[in-house]
Amino acid sequence: MTARVAVPIFPGTNSEDETVRALQAAGLDAEAVHWSRGGRALRAFDAFVLPGGFAYEDRIRAGAVAAHDELTEAIVAAADAGKFVLGICNGAQILLEAGLVPGTGPIGRPTAAFTPNRNGGRFLCRHVYVRLGVAPERIPALGGLPREAVIPMWAAHGDGRLAAAPDELARLDADGYVAFVYSDASGRRIPAPQGSALDCAGLTNAAGTVVAIMPHPERDAWTFMQRDGAAKLRARGATQAMLAPSGGSLFFTAFAHALRGVVAR
Amino acid sequence: MATLQKTFAVGLTIPDNEAFTALETLRRIGVGVGAVRRADVWTFDVDAAAAATLGQTIATIETVFNPNKHELVERPGSRPIAGEVWIAPHDETALPSVGGRVIPGVRGVRRRVAWQLLDEAGRIVEPAVLEHAVETFLCNPAFQKAIR
Repeated sequence: MTARVAVPIFPGTNSEDETVRALQAAGLDAEAVHWSRGGRALRAFDAFVLPGGFAYEDRIRAGAVAAHDELTEAIVAAADAGKFVLGICNGAQILLEAGLVPGTGPIGRPTAAFTPNRNGGRFLCRHVYVRLGVAPERIPALGGLPREAVIPMWAAHGDGRLAAAPDELARLDADGYVAFVYSDASGRRIPAPQGSALDCAGLTNAAGTVVAIMPHPERDAWTFMQRDGAAKLRARGATQAMLAPSGGSLFFTAFAHALRGVVAR
Repeated sequence: MATLQKTFAVGLTIPDNEAFTALETLRRIGVGVGAVRRADVWTFDVDAAAAATLGQTIATIETVFNPNKHELVERPGSRPIAGEVWIAPHDETALPSVGGRVIPGVRGVRRRVAWQLLDEAGRIVEPAVLEHAVETFLCNPAFQKAIR
């Protein structure tokens, strides 16, 4: 049985198509769900991936309005029941605003946030690598990832700097909430390009069932999306080669691997 | 040279979509509110010699103020007025320029967002209602502070 994954669309979401395709390429039954369908429409799904964009135009704060949306309430309930939830970029900001990640406080009372980048919130758009910051077993939602996996992605955000109170940051670091850190291609940790605390690119919750990551794995999921032109040059003129999976697809195949274990139970 | 603090509020004269979204969200999460007012509040550390003409300067250079859609109001002090809360980052620092533009005589400037909530009758809400709105929606304490 194939796991069904919902990709919620809020007003202003803009990455749903490529997210759905990346999930489908990983063998999942993925479907975009428009906000007008309401929270009930999400009941039939096994997992959720909140895509990137600018939900509600980032009014008030990035992710703040969507965090109180009816769809998000349904996702919070599903996460509470143990279903896997991923958030990418704006989806990650929504999960933090909702209090699902890191989940160290009550729901709706965030204890951390992806805040405006240093240099006054200047938009960051560049290719990055992230490295799994914890043991794979710590994150059941991505349980298929190899130890210290390095994944290429594209960062595209104005609000990607993790911030929290100093004692909260210490707790996130010590207790393994930092799911991904920025790294170079070899996996060596590097300073976060936007000043994110703990060089954090992604956070998880205590159970490892919810993951919020700022860079976009779905934007490096096929060869034609790679930063490195060599593979693209080799594939030029060969459509199948251009559409071959790229490094970012690892994120989604790991998710699919984890979901296969859940659906089979 | 002596410096003074001058504070100006820049609010929209056209419909404020962000305030409307805040109103809808607050109602959705159960905060009893009839209307929301929002403004950008700019507090300047300015040389005494330039203080008197600062408002005119801001209106003229049009970096944070557009006469076609904004009103510019000088505030009597550098604190929120009755029934208002200002939201600012914990790590706010005074910037040397406004929208990338250096204003003569200005040593530093801070931008905050001012929120004022009204009940269905158009009166300022009770402090407890404003506090509830701040705690549940208007301020993320992980990186923001509420100035009352």
